[in-house]
Amino acid sequence: MTLDLGKPGSTYIIKGMKLPQTIEKHLEALGMTYGTKVDVLNNKSKGTLIIKVRGTRFAVGRGISGNIEVSDR
Amino acid sequence: MTAVMKQDATIGFVGNPNSGKTTLFNAFSGANLKVANWPGVTVEKVEGMMKFKNQRYKLVDLPGTYSLTSYTMEEQVARNYILSDDVDVIIDVVDASSLERNLYLTLQLLELGKPVVVALNMMDIVEKRGLEIDMHRLPEMLGVPVIPVSARKRKGLGVLMHAAHHHINAKHPDKLIHGHDYTSAKDSKHAHEHHRDYTMVYSDKIEDKIDLIIDELRKKYPEIRNYRWHALKLLERDQEITARYPVDLPAVIDRSYESDIINEKYDFISEIMNEVIMNRAEREASTDKVDAVLTNKYWSIPIFLGIIGVVFFLTFFVGDFFKAYFEIAISWLGKAAASGLMSAGASPGLIALITDGIIAGVGSILTFLPNIFMLFLALAFLEDSGYMSRVAYVMDGIMGHLGLSGRAFIPMILGFGCTVPAIMASRALETKKDRFRVMLITPFMSCSARLTVYILFSEMFFPQHAMLAAYSLYLIGFAMALLVAFIIHLFDKEETEHQLLIELPEYKAPSARTVLIYVGEKVKDYLSKAGTIIFIASIVMWFIMNFGLHGYTQDVSLSIGAQIGKAIVPFFRPLGLGYWQLALALIAGISAKEVVVSSTAVLYGVSNINAAAGMSTLAGLLGASGFTALNAYCLMIFCLLYVPCAATLAVIKRESESWKWTGFVALFQISVAWVVTFAVYHIGTLFI
Repeated sequence: MTLDLGKPGSTYIIKGMKLPQTIEKHLEALGMTYGTKVDVLNNKSKGTLIIKVRGTRFAVGRGISGNIEVSDR
Repeated sequence: MTAVMKQDATIGFVGNPNSGKTTLFNAFSGANLKVANWPGVTVEKVEGMMKFKNQRYKLVDLPGTYSLTSYTMEEQVARNYILSDDVDVIIDVVDASSLERNLYLTLQLLELGKPVVVALNMMDIVEKRGLEIDMHRLPEMLGVPVIPVSARKRKGLGVLMHAAHHHINAKHPDKLIHGHDYTSAKDSKHAHEHHRDYTMVYSDKIEDKIDLIIDELRKKYPEIRNYRWHALKLLERDQEITARYPVDLPAVIDRSYESDIINEKYDFISEIMNEVIMNRAEREASTDKVDAVLTNKYWSIPIFLGIIGVVFFLTFFVGDFFKAYFEIAISWLGKAAASGLMSAGASPGLIALITDGIIAGVGSILTFLPNIFMLFLALAFLEDSGYMSRVAYVMDGIMGHLGLSGRAFIPMILGFGCTVPAIMASRALETKKDRFRVMLITPFMSCSARLTVYILFSEMFFPQHAMLAAYSLYLIGFAMALLVAFIIHLFDKEETEHQLLIELPEYKAPSARTVLIYVGEKVKDYLSKAGTIIFIASIVMWFIMNFGLHGYTQDVSLSIGAQIGKAIVPFFRPLGLGYWQLALALIAGISAKEVVVSSTAVLYGVSNINAAAGMSTLAGLLGASGFTALNAYCLMIFCLLYVPCAATLAVIKRESESWKWTGFVALFQISVAWVVTFAVYHIGTLFI
């Protein structure tokens, strides 16, 4: 599944991304690397999320969350 | 003197955005410098001076950054500056409450080979959550000193400086402590014992490659100082370094190893976290409780509107309360100056210049200081508390319909304060397209300078509903900004998905010091604007009003100003603004929007324009020439929408690096202003 379908309160594991290189590298620098745990804290219906990665909260738009492949743990 | 200067040591402050870096920097260097506290805005370096143990230090605040790649301008600026000879010591400001992510930058900094001292900030948040950080093990694993500080409470600053002072001359810093060579090193088949030399040691596969690249670099580029870092960058296929130091090792650098390197760094960070964090039983952070309300699906937008309402309440009501006292002081000053000059035997011309020119013009602007103060105080509070970045999340859905990311909303809100920093804040936007759009629409957000025009004219012509009239202009400006964004989006053929990505820092009580420095900075800007642009504009206005082609004249209609005003007035007549004085004031207002008010004061010869008496004089003068409430409203709308001030145009030019775009923005805005004002005037006359 992709991250934009994530439910608030659930935890997922990053399996891959399909994003432009600069954004991918930026996300990796922020700690969103392969195998990282992502907690979904909030999800507006359209895939705009608040997530928590390695102890830090981020707001992520659908353009990004829809292109991050995750798995249930 | 130069010898002393040479001994000055330079300390660079580096850290993630929201790590409290600028707060810490301010704590050291005081208020005597430019503070850019908005996310992503500190692109130019900010400098300050301090003395410690008989040594002078130059402090440099580098742009907040998450990493040191060459993908963004900020990161390149920071990286190149640190690599240059200018920096002696780096203070790496680390947010302890976000330790895991912050350490990534720390590991990158350590690889640059400069002495690093870690300032561990926000320990109070960590303690509140019931966590403990092993302050013995953390520096051991990093190999550099780690000093707990509180930038907000100004604690630990002396110890931090002491540590920096100690490492100032360490050009080739030895590791302080060798601590973690028991980890993978024991089983390592690698030829070198790197754990003695470097904090971050990679897998054998990567280390072998590094060794091969270093050998090649040594042969080809003997001038390089930090071979290991350059080798890593080549392995990552870093654009800048690969272009500058090409090596021919296709078998070694067979692909980009950037992801591997990032992953291994984070693996090491996980190792550090496991060792240094005690009581990991996670308590629910209070931030999550606050967020549950403020970013709630249904409540977030009403709450946001409520908060903005409070900001305006403070600006208008509370600001106006204090403004009344300023008016009394200014009109007293005018009278005192007049009688003082009179008794000193000054010529009537000079007295008129000072009282009717300078005091009337500059004074009219100074009285708005309380309103400006309240507005910036509220904005600083929103920013420093951590709420501003939530606005990006809250507004992302709505902004998405306009083809913009939620983040574009932050510059728009800042635009209520001043358009110049708002346009600079557009740097933080994800794409260039978004940035250019924001530059086009942000000037429609009514800034504090335009507030002066609304307050004056709505109090004169809408005495019962002054607040409502002013508020409606804010709404019109906001609606125009959204409408323009929407129209551009409609005509935009390429469908780009907007990509919101913003860190949501922990909520915290704003630091009084940070807020005050920020507000103080804005007040200073405002005063210096009153002392320069408005001062000069007032004098120029007075001269062109009192001099004709044949010298000094008492007859205003013969003055140069009247000639210019009458020449341009046809442009304004269809807008209900066919008054040459106002036409002149509006043209002068391009220098700064407040000049519309100060010029009106000078042009109509009303010295106490904001006091009740002055207002009724001016209202009487205007009313006698057929200027009604409708005309006043048209004037305010035109002021809201027409060409942004000179400072805004300059910043648009700088940010867009395009004269064409800047010219387009100016032309576009004056057209919009003309069309909208024309429509309002003619529709208005139907009803009145």
